[in-house]
Amino acid sequence: MNTLSVRAFIPPLTRRASPLRATRCYAMQAPGAPIVDIFSQQHKWMQKERAARDVETSRSVDYLRDEVASRLCERLMDINRPFPNVLDLGANACNIARQLTLPSEDSPDKGPRGSRIGKLTAAESSEALLFRDADLPFNKDIDIERQVLPASELLPFEPNTFDAVLSSLSMHWINDLPSVLAQVNSTLKPDSPFIGVMMGGDSLYELRTSLQLAEQERRGGVATHTSPLADVRDVGGLLQKAGFNLLTVDVDDIVVDFPDVFALMKDLQAMGESNAVISREKGPIQRDALLAAEGIYRALHGNEDGSLPATFRLIYMIGWKSSPTQAKPLERGTGMFSIKDYLEKNGGEKK
Amino acid sequence: MPGRTRPIDKFATAVGQCSKESAVYGKCILADYNNVHKDQCAVEFMKLKDCYLAAYKKR
Repeated sequence: MNTLSVRAFIPPLTRRASPLRATRCYAMQAPGAPIVDIFSQQHKWMQKERAARDVETSRSVDYLRDEVASRLCERLMDINRPFPNVLDLGANACNIARQLTLPSEDSPDKGPRGSRIGKLTAAESSEALLFRDADLPFNKDIDIERQVLPASELLPFEPNTFDAVLSSLSMHWINDLPSVLAQVNSTLKPDSPFIGVMMGGDSLYELRTSLQLAEQERRGGVATHTSPLADVRDVGGLLQKAGFNLLTVDVDDIVVDFPDVFALMKDLQAMGESNAVISREKGPIQRDALLAAEGIYRALHGNEDGSLPATFRLIYMIGWKSSPTQAKPLERGTGMFSIKDYLEKNGGEKK
Repeated sequence: MPGRTRPIDKFATAVGQCSKESAVYGKCILADYNNVHKDQCAVEFMKLKDCYLAAYKKR
C-alpha cells in the first residue's frame, strides 16, 4: 500500500498555482454531502478472511446467518413469480444459497425453496469466506456463481441485470448505504424486488451497555467497542432515497443465550463480526474492563439460569424498483367510499 | 488451533472461578448504574481482580 507522493517534490509556487488553474478551466459540479467513513473496509475484509481460514470454527457459528437467511428466503418465496437471475449481495459463506436448496418449513413436500430461482450470483469481498463451502454437496443443487467483489461498496454489474437482489447480514458494515442502495436499484430490472436484512438498532445492546459501564467505572471514559447501527426509522428513508417503491420494513429480534460473555465475543470473532469502526481503540481491550464487563453483564442482563442473553435485532426491508406497469396509489380525492363508514359498519357487525 | 489454549479461554476459565466476587461487583454497579463514575466500586473490583489473579496463576 505504499504510494509515493510526488507532492513534496513540486515547487511550492506551482503547487499553489495549479488548483487555481483547474478551477478556471472546468466547471465542476458541487460535491454532495461529504462521505465520512465509519468502518474500515480493509480491516473488515481481514477479519472475515482470518475467520474463514479456520473452517471448522467458522462453520460452527453459522447458526445466526443460516437462521436469518432462512427467514429471508421465506420472504422471497412469498413473491409468486420466477426469478431467472438473482444477486446475493454480501453473501458471506453463501448461506442464502444453502438455504435455498432446503425445503421450506411451511411446505416440506414441495421441494427446495429455490425451485423458482434460475441463476444465483453470490458476491462477497472476502474470498476465503465466499469459497469456504464451495466443495459441499449443496452447490450441485443450485446454479451458483461466486464472484469476489474488489470493493464491497462498488457493484460491478450492468444496469437492469437482476430479477431480484438479496442481501443478508452484510449491509451493517457498509459506509455509504445510500450509494449502495442506489446501485442496487440500478442493477435491478424494472418492477423487481430488493430484499435485504441487516443488523440494526438495539443489536447487542447488552454487550454495549455492559462494556460502557465497565469502562466508565474502571477507566473513567468510554471507547467504541460496538458499531453504530441503522435504526428502523432510517431504513425506510434510505430505501426511498435510493428510488425504491412499495416499501416494507419489519423488525425481528433473535435472542441467543450464551454461557458467558467470552463465548459471545469468541463467536462474534469467528463470524468475522469483530469491531471494525475506524475510530476504535487500537489494540486489545483492557483486561480490567473485560473482567468488569463480565460481572456487569451478568448482574444487569443475566438470565435466572445463569446464561447471558444477546439480542440480535434484524431489520428486513423489501423495496421494488419502479416501473410504469407497477400498481400505484390513486390520486387524492378519487376515493368513492368513505372508509370511516365502511369500518364503522363492518366493525359493528363483528360485535 | 489445536494443542494451544487461546488466551481468551484461559482468561474465561479464571474468571469463571470468581463468580461470587463477580456477582458482588455487578450488584455494586447495578445499585447506581445511571450515575457511574470512575472507581465507584473499586473495593469490590480489587477483590474480584485478586481472585482472578490467584485463579489465573493456579493453572
